Amino acid sequence: MPQKQVTIDVGDGAAIPSRKDRGLFSAWWLSFIGAVAIICYLCLSQPDPYWRVLKFLPDGILVTFKVTILSILLSLIIGLITGLGRLSRNRTVNLIASTYVEVVRGIPLLVQLFYIYYALGRVELFSNLPPLSAAVMAMAICYGAYMGEVFRAGIESIDKGQTEAARSLGFNRIETMFMVILPQAWRTILPPVGNEFIALLKDSSLVSILAVSDILRRGREFASESFYYFEAFTMVALVYLIITLILSKGVSKMEQRLNYYERD
Amino acid sequence: MKKKAALLLLLVMVCSPSVWARTLVVASDATWPPMEMMDSEKNISGFCPDLVHAIAKAGGFEVEIKNTAWDGIFAGLAAGKYDLIASSVSITEERKRAMIFSDPYFEVKQGVIINSDSGIRSEADLDGKIVGAQIGTTGYFSAKKIKGVTAKSYDEVGLAIEDLYNGRLDAVICDDAVAADYALQNPTYSEKLGLGFMIVPEKPEYLGFAARKGNKDVIELMNKGLKKVRESGEYDVIFNKWFGN
Repeated sequence: MPQKQVTIDVGDGAAIPSRKDRGLFSAWWLSFIGAVAIICYLCLSQPDPYWRVLKFLPDGILVTFKVTILSILLSLIIGLITGLGRLSRNRTVNLIASTYVEVVRGIPLLVQLFYIYYALGRVELFSNLPPLSAAVMAMAICYGAYMGEVFRAGIESIDKGQTEAARSLGFNRIETMFMVILPQAWRTILPPVGNEFIALLKDSSLVSILAVSDILRRGREFASESFYYFEAFTMVALVYLIITLILSKGVSKMEQRLNYYERD
Repeated sequence: MKKKAALLLLLVMVCSPSVWARTLVVASDATWPPMEMMDSEKNISGFCPDLVHAIAKAGGFEVEIKNTAWDGIFAGLAAGKYDLIASSVSITEERKRAMIFSDPYFEVKQGVIINSDSGIRSEADLDGKIVGAQIGTTGYFSAKKIKGVTAKSYDEVGLAIEDLYNGRLDAVICDDAVAADYALQNPTYSEKLGLGFMIVPEKPEYLGFAARKGNKDVIELMNKGLKKVRESGEYDVIFNKWFGN
C-alpha cells in the first residue's frame, strides 16, 4: 500500500523535541533539569521569598490545568465539527464553518476573552457566566477554529483511493468518514493537536485578565503585596516552563508511537 | 570640526532639562476616578494630577505625568523608570519597607460598593460572599482580611465594578472617594449600585507620593511644594473642585 507521508507544520512556538534530539545532553533535558535545579536552589538558598512564592502558586496551577483541559476537550469537539464542515459538500454548512474560522482567526485571543466576559456580560443570557466558564468558552472557540484547520488538513491527507474503495464496498459517506478515513487521519492529526495543546496551556495565562486566579495571577498577587516582583515572576516562568516541558515530552513520545511506519 | 559641534549640541540637548529646570517623571494609574483618570481628550485629569501640577508650580520644577498600569507600578519605580508615583498610594508599613513616602496629602477610608438591593450593611454580611478589588490595593488587602470572604483581584477597579454591575460579584472594595464616584456619580452604575458601608480602619489611612529608596531629594521637593500649596489655600481650591459637593 503506498503510504503518503504528510507532516503539518504548526509554527506557534510549541516546543516539541525533535526525535533526533536524544541523550542526556539534549536541549530538552538541559532545560528541564536546569529549571528544576534553579527552583530547588532558589528555594533552599533563599526560602524567603522563593519558597513562599512557590507555596502561593499550587491552586493557580490547578486552575491553569482546569482551564487548559476543559478548553482542549471542548475545542477538539468544535474542531472536529468545523473540520468536517469545511470539507462538507453542502454549501451552507461549508460557508458557516469557513466563516467561523476566518472570523475567529482574525481576532486576538485577548480581545475574544474581554469580549465574551465583559462585553457579553451586559447581555442577560451571559451575565451569570462564571469567569472560569467564560475563559474556557473563549479559549475553546478560539482554538476550535485552529483545530478545525488541523482536522481538515489531516482528513485531506488521506488518499482519495481510500474513500473510493470504501464507497465501492458499499459504505455510505458518513460511514466512510468515521470508519475508514478518520481512524487513519488520527495519525496525522494527533501531533499537531498535541502542539496546540501546549500552545493552549501557554495562552491560558491570558485568562488572568478575567480575574481567574491562574498561575500568573497568583504570581502577580504575590508580587503586588510583597514587592518581590523579580522573585515572583522568576518562579512563575519556571513553573510554566516545567509544565510545558513535561507536556512537550509527552507529545513527542506520542508522536513516536504513532509513527509506526517510520520507526527506527 | 562639524562632528565636534554636533556632538556638543547633542550633549547640550541631553543635559539641558536637568540643567535648566528639573523635570520629575511622575507615574500615575489613570483608572481611579476622581483621584486620577483619563478624560475624554485622553489627558490625565483628576484631583491628584491637579495637586501635582500645583506643587510643581509652587516648588519651581517641571513634572511629566505618565500613565502607568497599576500592576507593576512599584516595580517600575524600583527599576528607575520614573522618579515618583502619584497614584493614590496608601502609606502602609509593608510599602515603607520597599519605598519612601512624602507627607500625607489625603485621607482615605475603604468603601464597600454593593448592589443597592442586596442589603449588605456590615462586614458580617459579607460572610460567604465574593468581593472584588484592584490587585495590590489596600482595598484588596482589606477584602482578604474579612472573615469568610473570597477576594478576587482585578487589573483595574473599573473591571471589578463592571462585574459587580453584571451580578458576578457581591461587593467591590476601594478608596471611598473612588467608591463614591462609581456608586453615586456614574450615570449607569449609580442606578443599580450603592455605597454599602465604610470599613473602620485600625488606624487612619493616608495617601502619599512614593519615591524609590535613597531618592530623598524628590520627597523633600514634594513635601516643600505640598506645604506651600496647603498654606496658600490652593489645596482647598483643588479639593473643592473635585469633592466640593
